[in-house]
Amino acid sequence: MRTMESENIIEMLHITKEFPGIIANDDITLQLRRGEIHALLGENGAGKSTLMSVLFGLYQPEKGVIKKNGKEVKINDPNDATALGIGMVHQHFKLIEVFTVLDNIILGAETTKMGFLQKKEARAKVEALSERYGLKVDLNARVEDITVGMQQRVEILKMLYRDNEILIFDEPTAVLTPQEIDELMTTMKEFAREGKSILFISHKLNEIMAVSDRVTVLRKGKYIGTVDAKDTDKQSLSNMMVGRPVQLEVTKAPAQPGAPVLDVRDLCVPSKSHKKNAVNHVSFQARAGEILCIAGIDGNGQTELIHGLTGLEKSSGGAVTLCGEDISHASIKHRGQKMSHIPEDRHKHGLVLDFSLEQNLVLQRFNEKRFQTHGFINRAAVREYAGQLIEQYDVRSGQGPVTMARSMSGGNQQKAIIAREVDREKPLIVAVQPTRGLDVGAIEYIHGQLVAERDKGRAVLLVSLELDEVMSLSDRILVMYEGEIVGELDPKQTTVQELGLYMAGAKRMDLTRKEGEGA
Amino acid sequence: MKAQGRTLLQKDGTKTVLASLLSIAVGLAVGSLLVLLVGLFSDNLGLASAWEGIRLIFFGILNTGRNATGSLTWGFNSQSIGNMLFRATPLILTGLSVSVAFKTGLFNIGAPGQYLMGTMATLAIALGIPSTAMPGPVIWLLAFLGGALAGALWGCIPGLVKALLNINEVLACIMTNWIAANLVTWFFDATKVFQNTVENTKSSYVYKTAYGKTLVDGAWTYVDGNGVQTAKLGLDKIFSGSQVNAGILVAILIAIGVYILMTKTTLGYQLKACGANRHAARYAGINDKRNIVLSMAIAGALSGAAAALYYLSGNTEFYWHTYQALPATGFNGIPVALLAANNPIGVIFTGCFMSMLNIVGLQLTNLTAYNEFITDVIISVIVYLSAFSLLIKMMLSARRKDKPAADKREQDKPAEEVSVEKGGEQA
Repeated sequence: MRTMESENIIEMLHITKEFPGIIANDDITLQLRRGEIHALLGENGAGKSTLMSVLFGLYQPEKGVIKKNGKEVKINDPNDATALGIGMVHQHFKLIEVFTVLDNIILGAETTKMGFLQKKEARAKVEALSERYGLKVDLNARVEDITVGMQQRVEILKMLYRDNEILIFDEPTAVLTPQEIDELMTTMKEFAREGKSILFISHKLNEIMAVSDRVTVLRKGKYIGTVDAKDTDKQSLSNMMVGRPVQLEVTKAPAQPGAPVLDVRDLCVPSKSHKKNAVNHVSFQARAGEILCIAGIDGNGQTELIHGLTGLEKSSGGAVTLCGEDISHASIKHRGQKMSHIPEDRHKHGLVLDFSLEQNLVLQRFNEKRFQTHGFINRAAVREYAGQLIEQYDVRSGQGPVTMARSMSGGNQQKAIIAREVDREKPLIVAVQPTRGLDVGAIEYIHGQLVAERDKGRAVLLVSLELDEVMSLSDRILVMYEGEIVGELDPKQTTVQELGLYMAGAKRMDLTRKEGEGA
Repeated sequence: MKAQGRTLLQKDGTKTVLASLLSIAVGLAVGSLLVLLVGLFSDNLGLASAWEGIRLIFFGILNTGRNATGSLTWGFNSQSIGNMLFRATPLILTGLSVSVAFKTGLFNIGAPGQYLMGTMATLAIALGIPSTAMPGPVIWLLAFLGGALAGALWGCIPGLVKALLNINEVLACIMTNWIAANLVTWFFDATKVFQNTVENTKSSYVYKTAYGKTLVDGAWTYVDGNGVQTAKLGLDKIFSGSQVNAGILVAILIAIGVYILMTKTTLGYQLKACGANRHAARYAGINDKRNIVLSMAIAGALSGAAAALYYLSGNTEFYWHTYQALPATGFNGIPVALLAANNPIGVIFTGCFMSMLNIVGLQLTNLTAYNEFITDVIISVIVYLSAFSLLIKMMLSARRKDKPAADKREQDKPAEEVSVEKGGEQA
């Protein structure tokens, strides 16, 4: 018993945390050994973040105890956690944008003399840490000016500066390029070698298999089990996570591309945040029967490109041709006659959250003869159509067609949008991050739908930030970097590493048909 | 499934009704407290008169005066109830005006201006067309439609400014209110012909519409009884001694029409979509700009119609001289709409309630040593509370945006877990 206790640096025993109407953590036990990388795996809503928030003092559990080195401790707020040596890199960084990197690191743990800041000592300490772990940061730069990858290193340095020995990483790789992910993995292993203990929250199986020693799986707030990473594989982990056998790889026949459906020439879309073009002289074609993927790190003009294509924003130059018709300046409604659009932000654009499911399912079609007579909505027809879509696309909701969209789960909200857009049967489907934030089961379903549409001869234009998705789903990849297309790749012939180089702007193809290069 | 949905809606509805009733009750209680305090500390009042005042506040509409012994008598007071309905007529319409705009996500604080423009157009048409030129009902209808149209055009201005230049409609509304106030003053000042010169005791009043433009001895003069006024349809028999006319029925019909428009038609669907999520509406190809202008135009038309119905009654006069205040009827549309939670049918009742308070104020003045301004206090308390209840509801729904988890009962299983996770991240 004694040896067990000293082996575990943190023990969370039988933690139960309830929110009104829902048990987010139901009798969960997690034991973190000294010097290990322990992955916490689960779908969205499995309770991972809640559990970590309990450990970090943000929530108080109803039941259960937390022990450090075998001694029971009470963590009432993040300050208690810090005092116990627990540090956390949140999924959304907690940095002050207008402060310098150094100020951010020492914030809350400043060394002072008679009330005056002693930044010199702090600077020396941070520099030493940065050197030792190869965490390169510019201490004098403002956070708003540095890359996301560097911001994450700032967060890590914050933990090290506070001499934390238990490090929590909440979905740390979501915002990084493949190269940065590799660096992070190396750093994490280095920490573990030095005896620090790491809790690594993720739903990406590749990364978990690559770095972690043990994996604890949660599902719907319940503890499923803890396994050694070396005794398991991706498939069995995902089965544990979802609770049923899951198809990890997208199965699809080779694409049979037909005629071009969408032709984009020299498209420019101005940026809202700076004076340059967010989309700068982009040209490409999307053909019938293929899934064309626009890959890239978030914020390289993908959003603006799609807005320019769908009409949500005005383009400032170039031409867009859809099914042989110039739609460069057409209205959104007009473009919608030949194009369906699964939007990036399902709450902002995809749904009217305070409308019922059935009302949302006819968002573009309420004016069709079928759904109205002389301006009066034909309720029965809408209800019937909604019922049909709900059944066909397996959209689950509390009260069927009359459920408020707001009360539906993220996955089912997305399914509703997909049902609506796919059922409009347009030659071009624009799908922007269609699986973002969804669990494995829903992703499997949505991928299947997109492949089915491709096989029906539709052109699918996919924008994705998930490399796995890019590699497995697409038939052709275009990489976007700083508003330009910098590479065209074949997913069968390229590697994630090569893709990463293009995404980071380190590599660039000379795409001859691009006239506006370098403008 | 259907039944489930309906009971939920009902629950939400009852919640809203309860919230409104609560603010009404608190408002009346505060008014009573004030009556009590004033009664206790005033020399010529006392506990007994305070008790009378309190009873009047709650049941004043059913008071029939005092009997020989000087104590209050109660019963059906046809005059009070009739006048309540008469005064409710414009309030219902301005309430509808505010609520239609609100459903489209716009705050129409421009109802007073639209009301004034409606007043101007209605009076100009009703008094401007010679009574011999066409049958009275036709003049009435033209005046009514003219008023609504003028209001609609005036409502369009903030709508256009909002849609095209993205300037906040509240600012534009406030400015157009004052422009309307000065425009109307100038109009009646400059045209002269509409100024009441027949009744010498009255200066700065425009003719009632009961006066008709008539050719007498080769000169146009206004003759009482030659003009137009809203038909009574027997309502004056039921509510004898009151000013009530068929205008209240028109208002109720319009309220039902607005209800149908907002819930049954594609136009209402579009307007609500724009109000609930302008981005999603735009995404779906709905012309959000057009709908913003349209919504303000409908709101303006309703406010204009309010003025038309009020002044076409035939026994109401418009005081135009050095016009400096905006008509309270316009602003009172806001509490009427708030209290009804923007439900067009609810507006009928809250409009009646607000005018009832008015009548109660008059009863206080007539029957006791209190004055009618106590009811203003009650109205303000109710406005505050109804605004607060809206605020609380908005805060609740904002929280729900972050964690739909709170509504566990309304959703399917995996739903709330996502949100809890999110809540965790945000905390």
